[in-house]
Amino acid sequence: MEEAVYDVFARKRRAEPLRHIGYVDATDDALARVYAWKTYDEENWFEMCVVRRAHIIPVNRIDGPYAARATGRLGRHAVEGR
Amino acid sequence: MPFTEEEIKARVQNGYIVESPEEMTEGYRKALAIQLTVQADTELMSAPSYWMAARHAPSANTQVSAHAIIQDELAHANIAYRLLEDMGISKQKLVYEREPHEFKHPYGFDQPLDNWADLVVANGFFDRAGICLLSDVHRNTSYGPLKRALVKVDMEETFHLRHGEVWMRRLARAGGAAKEILQRSVDWMFPMTVEWFGLPDDRKRHSGQLEYRLKGLTNDQLRQLWMSSTVPLCERLGLDVPAHFDEASQSYVLDYPFPCQYDASEKRWLFEEGRITWGQVFERWKGRGPMNEIYVESIRRSRGQVSSWLN
Repeated sequence: MEEAVYDVFARKRRAEPLRHIGYVDATDDALARVYAWKTYDEENWFEMCVVRRAHIIPVNRIDGPYAARATGRLGRHAVEGR
Repeated sequence: MPFTEEEIKARVQNGYIVESPEEMTEGYRKALAIQLTVQADTELMSAPSYWMAARHAPSANTQVSAHAIIQDELAHANIAYRLLEDMGISKQKLVYEREPHEFKHPYGFDQPLDNWADLVVANGFFDRAGICLLSDVHRNTSYGPLKRALVKVDMEETFHLRHGEVWMRRLARAGGAAKEILQRSVDWMFPMTVEWFGLPDDRKRHSGQLEYRLKGLTNDQLRQLWMSSTVPLCERLGLDVPAHFDEASQSYVLDYPFPCQYDASEKRWLFEEGRITWGQVFERWKGRGPMNEIYVESIRRSRGQVSSWLN
């Protein structure tokens, strides 16, 4: 069973920004939605989204978990931001 | 340009937050990996321990709350294992490919919880220990992803603690057999939790976790913090605990030889045999307790079968 990592974003109320609250591993998008909803059940969320980590495009960093793509096509343009 | 060990230690002591494995030195990475593995394994092994005890729940409502706690613990474990995965350490290997004795959870989660009193005292004592340890990490850790992950964990562990303390109060007030069985749970779990915090500070000369600011308090400070909540709670409930507050030193003092030996089959501390060495304690921990293999196997017994159906 191959799993991918999904990052979980949520907000408690209208007008709040979506905030990164965690991550789940799942074999597909449908299971990622279920796992996120059941894992991060500490609040009554107004909105929750999951994003496959591989689909996140880093803009300015070349390190960290989101930077896998930065080492490829985007790496040439990344700017280190320590 | 990567940091040297001295540079990263100096930086984190001044509030620098590490955000990615690429910024870590080898020493920082090793210390964090050990801390996260202990955290993840402890959360994971609490689940089968609580799950087997939850069958003693006295009502449908209590079944629900006991299982809600188990669900939280599994989620906390998963979160910590994922942080390890981001550091290049395989969650699958950690959970499914280690021998049961290689897990790094405390010895308390190798013991059977035999009745409802054992379960609620575990919530009251073990989860309180978890809160002491993890809220200290939450306040002080220099690793940003862990600091953020602990927001949820802290919130939920507080609910587990409340569940334990409310039920301890209920059993204590009932008196009679309820209070007797509660006292028996306290008798074995109080010293078990005291020991959980590990080597006293005067024996622990070097702490990578403090130097890399992965936590803020020492073992003895955390042990005192735990006793400062637990001893007054037990005193209020009329439960005997082998510790008291010493006015002269303004600290909690143990009324038994520490550390001492534990008879796992009798669930009894052998105070009468006197003090043992920490070497003997580590030997007991390494040998693991009676439920170690059963708990580990219970969380992974069906994996091979389901994988074969799907592949």
